Amino acid sequence: MNQPTPTEAPVEIPSAFEFRTASDGIECYRLVDNGLRVLLLPQDGAPVATSMVTYHVGSRNERTGHTGATHMLEHLMFKGTERYHQRKGTSIFQTLQRVGARVNASTWMDRTNYYEMLPTEHLPLALDIEADRMRGALLDPQDVESERTVILNERDRKQNDPVSRLFDEVWAAAFVAHPYQHPTIGWESDIESITADGLREFYDTYYWPDNATVSVVGNVDRRNVLEEVAGHFGRHDAAPHEIPQVRTEEPEQAGERRVTVEQDGQLGAVLMAYKSPPAVEPDSDTLDVLARILASGKGSRLYQRCTDQGLTSDVFGMNFRLRDPGLFSVFGYLAPDVDHRTVEDAMGEEIEKIQDEGVTKEELDRARNQLRAKIAFDRDGPMKVASQLNEAIAAGQWTLYTEYLDRLDRVTVDDVQRVARTYVKTDKRTVGWYVPTS
Amino acid sequence: MDTPSADSDSSAGRPRLAPRIRDRKAGPGRLLTLPTSVDDIVSLRGSFLAYPDLASGDDVLQNLSVSMLDRGTEFRDRFELAQVLEECGAKLDLSSDGLYVECSGRALTEDLPRVMDVLAEMLRHPSFDEREFEKARAQAAAEVRRRMEKTGAQAAAALSRRLFAPAHPNYSDAPEDVLRRIQRVTVDDVREYHERHFGATGWTLAVVGDLDHDRVETVVAEAFGDWDGHEPEPTHETDATAGEDPDKSNVDVRLGQSLSLRRDDPDYPALYVGNYILGGNFSARLMRTVRDEQGLTYHIGSRLAGVTARYDGYWQVNVTLSPEVLDEGIDVTRTVIREFVEEGATDEELADKKTTITGSYTVGLATTSRLAQSILTNAERGFDVEYLDRFPREIEALSLNEVNDAVRRHLRPEALHEALAGVEPDPVEA
Repeated sequence: MNQPTPTEAPVEIPSAFEFRTASDGIECYRLVDNGLRVLLLPQDGAPVATSMVTYHVGSRNERTGHTGATHMLEHLMFKGTERYHQRKGTSIFQTLQRVGARVNASTWMDRTNYYEMLPTEHLPLALDIEADRMRGALLDPQDVESERTVILNERDRKQNDPVSRLFDEVWAAAFVAHPYQHPTIGWESDIESITADGLREFYDTYYWPDNATVSVVGNVDRRNVLEEVAGHFGRHDAAPHEIPQVRTEEPEQAGERRVTVEQDGQLGAVLMAYKSPPAVEPDSDTLDVLARILASGKGSRLYQRCTDQGLTSDVFGMNFRLRDPGLFSVFGYLAPDVDHRTVEDAMGEEIEKIQDEGVTKEELDRARNQLRAKIAFDRDGPMKVASQLNEAIAAGQWTLYTEYLDRLDRVTVDDVQRVARTYVKTDKRTVGWYVPTS
Repeated sequence: MDTPSADSDSSAGRPRLAPRIRDRKAGPGRLLTLPTSVDDIVSLRGSFLAYPDLASGDDVLQNLSVSMLDRGTEFRDRFELAQVLEECGAKLDLSSDGLYVECSGRALTEDLPRVMDVLAEMLRHPSFDEREFEKARAQAAAEVRRRMEKTGAQAAAALSRRLFAPAHPNYSDAPEDVLRRIQRVTVDDVREYHERHFGATGWTLAVVGDLDHDRVETVVAEAFGDWDGHEPEPTHETDATAGEDPDKSNVDVRLGQSLSLRRDDPDYPALYVGNYILGGNFSARLMRTVRDEQGLTYHIGSRLAGVTARYDGYWQVNVTLSPEVLDEGIDVTRTVIREFVEEGATDEELADKKTTITGSYTVGLATTSRLAQSILTNAERGFDVEYLDRFPREIEALSLNEVNDAVRRHLRPEALHEALAGVEPDPVEA
């Protein structure tokens, strides 16, 4: 599937850019004057395109007292600039949705992204808006106040969902030093107290062309797109300072940690989370495979042991691939009348079996085939491509997206057993129980 | 595009779908296929009409029947079935939606024959193993309990009970009643329901992606060959109940009224646009006023719901409100609605939403799964495939008078029922 990486630009490109590299059809350029990175994937198909700006800033970059700033800023970015503003009848949402665009943004630990999927003829509009708000967001104090209420409401809803709360509590217990410990939405008191000036400082620190990647995917003309990107984003200078980086490393965990969430609800749940390596490391690919072997489909170990035997109503295996070490997790909703301990023991025993006896070639092949099909489906339409690419950018290496198939091919049966022994260890885990109280 | 061709819509440069769709009979049903530029994959959507007797509680039987389909057939046990799909990373989901039993799936193109084979086997020859049935029943009950925690779903279901009779496909039972009925069902009931109601009646399949028309046709004909239709005829209520006096209560709020209009009604496009102007997206009136200007809610919107060519649907306004602004929020919402119906939309709003609707229609057809769903839904409505290309033109041709007339004819603010769930202090997303 991978094409050879060319060393030169595929065609003549505008002089504002330098061509960096290409991988599996995706071309990488750099806007020379300000360091903006551009990823471009022209596709055949419907006359639509996705434009996405990924800022290399997430909740990892928040300091104590300012948790939730990234997410709050993401909301404020929709409140407008001088040119695009509700009072002029040109709010960002209105303007983009008027042409049928799907518009949204999301914040996660390592990144913040803003995206539009729209008819190709309107792509210049999306690029204009994104470039405008890269440096021109107003961050009006009144808007901060009204959005604070909206975000507190959003946080309430998350807190009311016991499973969402369980995940937050487990991450908070698993990380004592690294900023992955706090939820992306932020602690309530921080959301309540953050000021417009505080957000402005955050914005002025991180929202610069040389701390962002613009991705354009879809039925587009390469040269036109590059000229549009240069025209809109080229008017910004590079950041006048070095972009601050997170240097805190989570100290090694020495012993199991346990948390309990007691809250109104119907069905209990168990979450077991283990420290995992950074996303770019090959062992992370192997953990993706292990998550599938454990809990994807009826052939999986935990389905057969837990769901099929009536211990759980659903089980999941998740490898959160992040820029710094994250958490590999298994999660189960308890079946009615089954206790937490029984499910936790059953899940633990299945993991031990893999550590002791390994997995079969059939299991590895099945997991790999599932992931292969998933990759093919993740290319169905520009939005899916952009969203996958976004996570690879966030992890710190966009070619993770294009090289993933090859990386998977290198995973062996022995690797799976080895990573199960290396990472999925009792003394490095954090176990969370959700115990319904009604 | 400078020169309009037979394959493009000259008004907007949209490539036309209909000339590329092949529509024919294959085996016992209708097959629609559309090749696209995607590599290596296909998406499929299909349905047949089961005609449950909704007044007698057949919806529970239908749901349980469907949940038994992937739990083993006369030829393969549940693990063997799952293995076929899991080995090739394919997905196949079966579900029940009112009158229909539906399937959706995706696979690498090379794996379509074995996926189709499994699909046909599950639909036609489930084994209804007793032990599996007990598990399916326990999981169905757990699912109902989980839904009881979602206040948005509860409010919507409560509204549906105000607008429709139990025999209507848009009626949702109270979860407590569903739980009770689930407990009473036996495996024999489910087996009998399958025998009577599962068959090729109205069986339609749409397949989209990296495909060859003829090859898909051969695969489908071989897999479904001699599948017959079933006996039951429609017994469902088609009209909405004339509602009693609207009453009022509290937090995750749904306002709604029934609509005596079907999807093939000539008023439908105009009303669709009218509702869109009111509450169809983030820049619609409700969102601009109640959320952006007044900051009373995180989300508010309105939609035409449950509208099909076969029975009446309803108009629903969703709003999530914190307990402290509940009354104010509902009042403002009602005022915006009343003013909209009385005064109508403006030329500018109409022009805006025409661009929006046709643009998002184009955007919405950018994946194989969305295309397959659109083709199937269009077929279920009894529309010809050309309607897929005609729809945006129909929207573009609407006048302001047509839209405002349709709004006044069909939307009655004074007849809005209110339903709510999630008593304070737990507002939950709509």
